[in-house]
Amino acid sequence: MKPLTVQNQRAFELSSIPELPVSEFESEVRLILSEGSRMMGLFEVDRTSENKKVLAVFGNNETSQIYLVKCVFPKGSERFHTFADEFPNTNYFECELAENSLIVPEGHPWLRPVRKQNTVLGNIPYEFYRMEGDEVHEVAVGPVHAGVIEPGHFRFQCHGETVYHLEINLGFQHRGLEKLLLTEDDSKRPILVESIAGDTVLGHSMAYSLAMEALSKTGVSLRASVIRSIAEELERIAMHLSGLSGIANDVGFAIGASSYGRLRTLVINSLLLISGSRFGRGLVRPGGVMYDLTDGAVKKITENLLEVQKDVNDINDFMFSSTSVMSRLEGTGKVHYKWASDIGMVGPAARASGLKTDIRQDFPYGAYRYHAMQTVRLDTGDVFARARMRSLEIEESLGFIFERFVDIPQGEIISQMNPLKENMGVISLTEGWRGEIMHAILTGPDGKIKTYKVKDPSFNNWYGLALSVRGEGISNFPLCNKSFDLSYSGHDL
Amino acid sequence: MYKGLKLRLAQGEPAIKDLQNAGMPEIFRGVPQIDESKFTAEELKKCQAKCPTGAILPGPLRIDLGKCTFCAQCTENSTEGGITFTAEYHMASSTREGLITNGTLPALTPGAASEKIRKYFGRSLKLRQVSAAGCNGCELELNALGNVNFDLGRYGIEFVASPRHADGIVVTGPISKAMSSALYDTYEAVPNPKIIILFGACAISGGIFEDSEELDRSFLKEFKADLYIPGCPPHPLTFISGILSWLDRK
Repeated sequence: MKPLTVQNQRAFELSSIPELPVSEFESEVRLILSEGSRMMGLFEVDRTSENKKVLAVFGNNETSQIYLVKCVFPKGSERFHTFADEFPNTNYFECELAENSLIVPEGHPWLRPVRKQNTVLGNIPYEFYRMEGDEVHEVAVGPVHAGVIEPGHFRFQCHGETVYHLEINLGFQHRGLEKLLLTEDDSKRPILVESIAGDTVLGHSMAYSLAMEALSKTGVSLRASVIRSIAEELERIAMHLSGLSGIANDVGFAIGASSYGRLRTLVINSLLLISGSRFGRGLVRPGGVMYDLTDGAVKKITENLLEVQKDVNDINDFMFSSTSVMSRLEGTGKVHYKWASDIGMVGPAARASGLKTDIRQDFPYGAYRYHAMQTVRLDTGDVFARARMRSLEIEESLGFIFERFVDIPQGEIISQMNPLKENMGVISLTEGWRGEIMHAILTGPDGKIKTYKVKDPSFNNWYGLALSVRGEGISNFPLCNKSFDLSYSGHDL
Repeated sequence: MYKGLKLRLAQGEPAIKDLQNAGMPEIFRGVPQIDESKFTAEELKKCQAKCPTGAILPGPLRIDLGKCTFCAQCTENSTEGGITFTAEYHMASSTREGLITNGTLPALTPGAASEKIRKYFGRSLKLRQVSAAGCNGCELELNALGNVNFDLGRYGIEFVASPRHADGIVVTGPISKAMSSALYDTYEAVPNPKIIILFGACAISGGIFEDSEELDRSFLKEFKADLYIPGCPPHPLTFISGILSWLDRK
């Protein structure tokens, strides 16, 4: 039995996904994973049916294909043999499935809570991993942190100042978002989607809108696509500047912190000129965009971005040539290629470790189908690489926007949405500034949304942060954390 | 060193001089204006039903800024000019009722804060922020308050790491079950007298997450907030102008 092969944002009939019994599902999934694909989702579908059913989603960067298989479990025996023993990138997805649907991945190396604080599989108590010995000590931090940031809990196992293990416990931000997304109210859903992670408004609302357009076979004008991609790149630039500002702040490089911060203001104010919101809220909706890009706005934004381009070069030059800064960044928080690839890291953090992964290139969508993005890679996988990666991506994104400004296609900005087709599904991937975003939407026989699954890139990358602090001094944690710059709410949903 | 000085000089004076009267682009969605006469009865019904957070209240027509996410979908559902969003960013209120408006906010009477609060915090106010399931939109805007453009520190208002050093808390997010006890703990740890500021639609009313089963908003039933900053997320200037008026500062 072959898996269903689909492309990014192409709707498919649900009946075309092969439904396999457990043993066949296990061998099929192992085959897909051994051919170089990685897991993008593993979640229960069709919750009304008598037997539990699970949909597994895989993506292959080389072939640009998405593979889907479904597993039907016999009633009363909801268990399968884990894949994480051989393919660690499935680890966290299996933990999530166990937590949400009480389906047991047998032989799983380390079943951890994902959004619960101290239980797994419903009610089995979970103890944090603990190191023992003379002079070994534990440091517990959070949920409330020192800065103005989201909540999460961290447990460090230390000997002296050296961290041997970090366990990250999240879920404090859980708002029951996936359940709320099943609402029948079309006016509510876009606002919910924009709040999955308030710093990735465009990444998520693009994934949602493109999925809805695929499910209803609604076309979007080229003009709307281009405006969307301009806004998406503005979001990327703004958040990369914010991250660089944070990294500069964490190493005590005050002029960097304030200068990057100032430039971020220029970029989000540019986004304000397009959408009326500094975060691009209210801009992208299924069918197109709500605000047209006026010539006046283009002129003003160009002015802003030229200033950003000039100043960011000067600051990069200053920061990345300062020995006191470089001594803090280089070699700190290393995640080498093998680890990054094994655990399935995504986005700029993965590219900083040498992985070739970028949805804009591997699974192009919207305007990126016509205008290829050059994505950059580095190979040291340390804080320096992750910081440098962000500054390089700023340059790339600025270039992309200037190119688009030369010739913005004419046309309507929003098209009338058709009703959703019945019994269809779609996998929608976009490259948010943190990396791969996945939205899976499945409709029922009445054309209403029956399953909505969201995966934020943070879901892949939190474990990368835990690995990066191994063997580091505990005082380097804030720096490692900022270099990953992950979302708590995007993970917790 | 010269490189650093050159870089500093090249950036000029980035601070916004007058934060109470800073210009805002017209496209910004601030205080809404309502003209009820432009609606037919049917349109009115549709407009109300289509508001994602149920922020549109009937007879006389008003908008609850504590619920509004400023998505402006209501402007699509009425005849031209029925509801319009102005670029007015002054919209903080010291009461929950004050946020329910037809366009003219009762405004923050200068010095709405009590004599005692003005005496203690008028010249120095240290705040501890608690993100209780905030999506990072509000958190980013609060962080932006400290940047070189807004430079909130010039008024002696700052965010501190420890609640023990704070004079009050700023809450963001709809308050998830898992954050409820941490919110109580943080508040308890702040010495008296102390204030509570709610930042953003989620904190004020639950916002778009109001119907979620994963929230626990008992904290706000127990303690009354002193200042409400509406928005999704609120613009930094809404916070600054609000808190300065509230404390009767220029």
